[in-house]
Amino acid sequence: MRALVIYCHPSSQSFTAAVRDVVVDKLRKAGAATEVIDLYAEGFDARLSPEEWACYIDGPKADCPRMPHIDALKAADTLIFVYPTWWYGMPAVLKGWLDRVLLPDVAFHLPPDGPITPGLRHIKRLGVFTTCGASWWLTRFIGAPGRRTLLRGLRLLCARRTRTAFCAHYSMDASTADSRARHLRRVAVSMDRLIGRPRDGAAETAPARA
Amino acid sequence: MTRAMVVHAHPCDESFSAALFGRTVETLGARGWQVDSCSLYQEQFQPVLSAAERRGYHDMDGNTGPVQAYVDRVTAAEALVLVFPVWNFGYPAILKGFLDRVFLPGVSFVLDGGRVRGNLRSIRRLAAVTTYGGDRLRATLVGDPPRRSVMRHLRAVTHPRARARYLALYDMNRADADRRAAFLSRVERSMERL
Repeated sequence: MRALVIYCHPSSQSFTAAVRDVVVDKLRKAGAATEVIDLYAEGFDARLSPEEWACYIDGPKADCPRMPHIDALKAADTLIFVYPTWWYGMPAVLKGWLDRVLLPDVAFHLPPDGPITPGLRHIKRLGVFTTCGASWWLTRFIGAPGRRTLLRGLRLLCARRTRTAFCAHYSMDASTADSRARHLRRVAVSMDRLIGRPRDGAAETAPARA
Repeated sequence: MTRAMVVHAHPCDESFSAALFGRTVETLGARGWQVDSCSLYQEQFQPVLSAAERRGYHDMDGNTGPVQAYVDRVTAAEALVLVFPVWNFGYPAILKGFLDRVFLPGVSFVLDGGRVRGNLRSIRRLAAVTTYGGDRLRATLVGDPPRRSVMRHLRAVTHPRARARYLALYDMNRADADRRAAFLSRVERSMERL
């Protein structure tokens, strides 16, 4: 298993960092080759520039400065995002990562006379771990745009039977030490489900139905 | 005179998005709006919320400091129009960062006993003008996150009776000159009635 973890929070003491630690710990214990990209620590520029836009359609060139990220993405079979939800979506720097790294010929293909086709068929597991200031109800009412962007939009580009995990601590501003500890346990369980046996083998162990 | 803030998020001046922005600003100006045109790329807006800003996020006395000029422009507006392309089923990062950094507690919402309440009461008209690479079916399957974000979330922080509209051209990658021209006129008609 090769896992790429995209982590995004400005403060190293945040609860989001604790969530990342649980995720990475689970991956390492499962023997996965794990790479963590810390977007804030790298000072990742969120803005897709006019120059990048001008040659966007051509896909990345060999000397593209984001090649290390692109290579890590291409090599991964497990992709995990850990971030705080701000304004019902991912932080700008993470959205910028999608804009600047999920390029044509990497994440998807644009045939001249057909619809977009997926380019991340090698991704078989997709995990999203986040915190929301808003309650579950309010987030659902707004339609959880951040979750949809990743678990549906990005999911469309991954393998057909991609296994997904989503785990959020809602009402973060009213969280307690207890609720946070409980959430970290939920993250651990969710990770176990995500990186357990691949779905292809699940049929062998599933109990037969009468 | 009523003020309209038109926010644009596309890196290139020759893009169709820039044409939509131009038509929007022009039409609103001709209808007597006092237009504040704000091109985030041209103004070199920095979209990344810093660690210091995150720490001071809930401090309503000082949190607007780093972006005060933008806060003033947003709160002075009676209409807010966002012109942007949809990238990866979301706002371009520069626009997402505009929300992260400018739509702060005390500006766009207040926390009232743990409950969020909209605070941009002066905004009575909200509009988005946007383009999608994918087609409508694809966007709907995904749940159309940008449409929800504008029509539910932004709508919820503006005036309770604010009118919102969402103008979208889907399947942009395959749109010919006719469809683009038709969309430009649709935007113009809509802005005339704003």
